This record gives sequence, structure tokens and C-alpha cells, in this order.
Amino acid sequence: MERSAPRAILLKEEGNRLFKQNDFAGAEGYYSKALIADPSNQSLYTNRAMARLKMGLWEGVIDDCSACLKLDANNMKAVYYLSQAHLALRHYDDALKTALRARHICVETDDKNLSAATAQVLQCKKERWDDAEKKRKRETSALEAEVAAMFERERDEALKEAADMDEGSKTEIREEWQRKAELMTKIFDQSRTAEERRRKMPDWAIDDITFEVMVDPVITKSGKSYERASIMEHLRRHQTDPLTREPLQISDLRSNLGLKQACDEFLEENGWAADW
Amino acid sequence: MPPQFAAKRLGKELQKIHNSLPPGIELVSAEDFEEWVLDIKVLDNNPLYKDQTYRLKFKFGGSYPIEPPEVVFVKLPDRPIPIHPHIYSNGIICLDLLGQQGWSPVQNVESVCMSLQSMLTGNTKNERPPGDEEFVRANRLRPKDIDFYYHDNNV
Repeated sequence: MERSAPRAILLKEEGNRLFKQNDFAGAEGYYSKALIADPSNQSLYTNRAMARLKMGLWEGVIDDCSACLKLDANNMKAVYYLSQAHLALRHYDDALKTALRARHICVETDDKNLSAATAQVLQCKKERWDDAEKKRKRETSALEAEVAAMFERERDEALKEAADMDEGSKTEIREEWQRKAELMTKIFDQSRTAEERRRKMPDWAIDDITFEVMVDPVITKSGKSYERASIMEHLRRHQTDPLTREPLQISDLRSNLGLKQACDEFLEENGWAADW
Repeated sequence: MPPQFAAKRLGKELQKIHNSLPPGIELVSAEDFEEWVLDIKVLDNNPLYKDQTYRLKFKFGGSYPIEPPEVVFVKLPDRPIPIHPHIYSNGIICLDLLGQQGWSPVQNVESVCMSLQSMLTGNTKNERPPGDEEFVRANRLRPKDIDFYYHDNNV
């Protein structure tokens, strides 16, 4: 096939048409043909990545986004799709790193997708925490089972040693180990419920517009902080402080670094809060 | 703002509402994230509203809470439209808080209900807005598209 940018655009439009009809495989085919005609067109990579996202072809998404980012390291869509693919593949650290990068690009370029990128950051943090939590729970119950098995071995050992003693002593040994086993189960259960009880959402971490934990809090002149994406969305329509209605410009916003750090640390230990 | 933002925020509001609501406000139904129905009562002894319950219908767009919800009183046999110089007899409410200019995204369903309660509590005039009959007959606009003139902020 010949190399030609105009031909690539025609093929891309055909791909877009199929994409709109939810024919993602068909769309992917046309984007592939278009890429042969013009391998330097970034939107062909991101469009094909989007089609592949829809089909769950995560590795393919990563290939497309990586190729696109070689052409332009600041392509927001490529970074954003890359984060989604990493998340689907449970590459939690890569997913979070790319989500943060997508968010950063949105802030720098005043990109309308700031809200979506912010939501992706929260989603990555939540899924990473869920995964760690699952592992921890698995380890805890494995430990519990192991301890229980050890108790049983100890008890059998003691009973063997007491083989010549009367029935009363043997019953005593059995009851003693039974007591220990019950106490052990109780302690494990207590630690589990204590953890559930700790789940309280502090108001200071919440953005009053989305009601979500803040990822990038900015402070207004009235001293109140909001998630950057939310307040930007509001200021695009009305240049007023949501609380006081006084004039407020985007340029008046300042990062609230202390609060950001507090929110980050809170989420690190309470990943459930990303989706409370 | 992507549409799931409205749904997420409304989900959280609903959670809060299920836990507790201020006195005189009750959730009637919230089947989805498009339309909620609540009942409100005026708690003091204002004779205009004593022993009455009023029904409110909230409609949310995908841009809520950046954009205001559409809020109207609904008339039923046991749910009249409260008499007030800023409430038309078809239930349309003229309140700057609910307009594009007066709305703020830190408002929520609960705070809107409370504002309406206090708007009724503070009223002493047993009358409809000027031109009510004409407005109710002629108006086909959705409440949010009406450009009210907030002529009297003391009521």
C-alpha cells in the first residue's frame, strides 16, 4: 500500500464511522490500514487504542499508546488510554503513574478532560489498595489456618504423651487446646471488625462539589479548598467563589500543598475512600 | 464534566439523605439519578403553611452539580402548591438560588429544601406572583429556561 497522508485520513474517517456504529473490530482494521499509509499521524494511534480498549485488547492498547508517545510524549489521550490498559492488566503502579501524568498534562494545557483524568487517578489508587487489601486478607486467613493446624498438632502430641494417663486428664488436654483455638479465632475476628469500624470519611478530605476525596486541592480567596477539576469546571461558567459569590478567577487559585499531602496519605492507608 | 459525575455525586447525596435529613424534609422517591421527589413542611406556626405538606420534584441533568437542578412544586390532592409571591400556581419557583446565576455547586438537594423551607417561613403575603394567571396559561418553557427578574429580594 502506498504511503499517503490524505489516503490515511479517508481510511480514518471510515474507521470513525464504524466506531460510531460500535463495530470496533471493523474500526480497528481501518485504523491499521490508515497507519500503514501514514505512520506519523498520532490520532490514528489513539483512535486505534480506543477501539482496542473497547475490545479489551489491552496489550494492543499499550503498543499503540507507546508508539504515539514516541511521536509526542505529551499526548494526553495516549497517556490516558495507557493508564486504562495498565489498570485492566493490574499493573497498578504503572496505571497510577500514567494517570497522574495524564492529569498533569490536562492541568498544563487546560484540557477539558481534567475531570476524567482525576477520576482515573482515584480509580487507580482504589484498585491498587483493593488488591493490596485482598492480598493482606488472604495472608491473614492463611496465617489463621496455619496456627490452627499447629494447635492441632500440639494437642495430638500432648495426647500421645499422655497415652497412659486416665480419661479425665486426656479430656483436660483436649479442652485446654479447644480453649486456645477459640481464643485465637476470636482475636483474628476482632482485628477484622476493628478494621471495618475505622472506615470514617473525614470532611477535610472531601471536595464539596463532587463529594470525592481530593487529589489536587486548590484553595480560593475565601480559604476553602476544592478539587482543581471541579472548581475549574465551575469557573468556566461563572467566575465566582461558590461559597461567597465574590468574583473569582482561575488565576486566583493556588495549590493547597499541605492538604494535598494529607489527602494522599489518607488515601494511601484508606484506599476504600477513593470510592466511598 | 462526564455524566457519571452527576450520578456519583447524587449517589453520595442519597447515602447521606438515607442516614439523616433535617426536620420537615422527607425523601419520597429516588429511583434513579434523574428525578427525585421530596416532601417538605414548614416547621414554625406561619398560618399560611401550618399543617401542610408540599411535594417537590427535582430533575438533574448530567452536569449537576455544576448546573442547578430543576425544582418545582407538584400538585396532588393532599399536596397543594404553597402560596407565595415567588411561587406560581403551576408549581414553578422563582428563587435565585435555582437560577443559572444564583446557583453554586456547593449547594445540594438538602440545602435547596432548607432554603425553600425558610423562603416559606419568612413569608407573610398571601399572594401569587404578579401576572400568575397569564404566566401559567402561556408558559411552555422549562423552569430553568425562564429568565426570572428577581425584582424583590426581600420576600
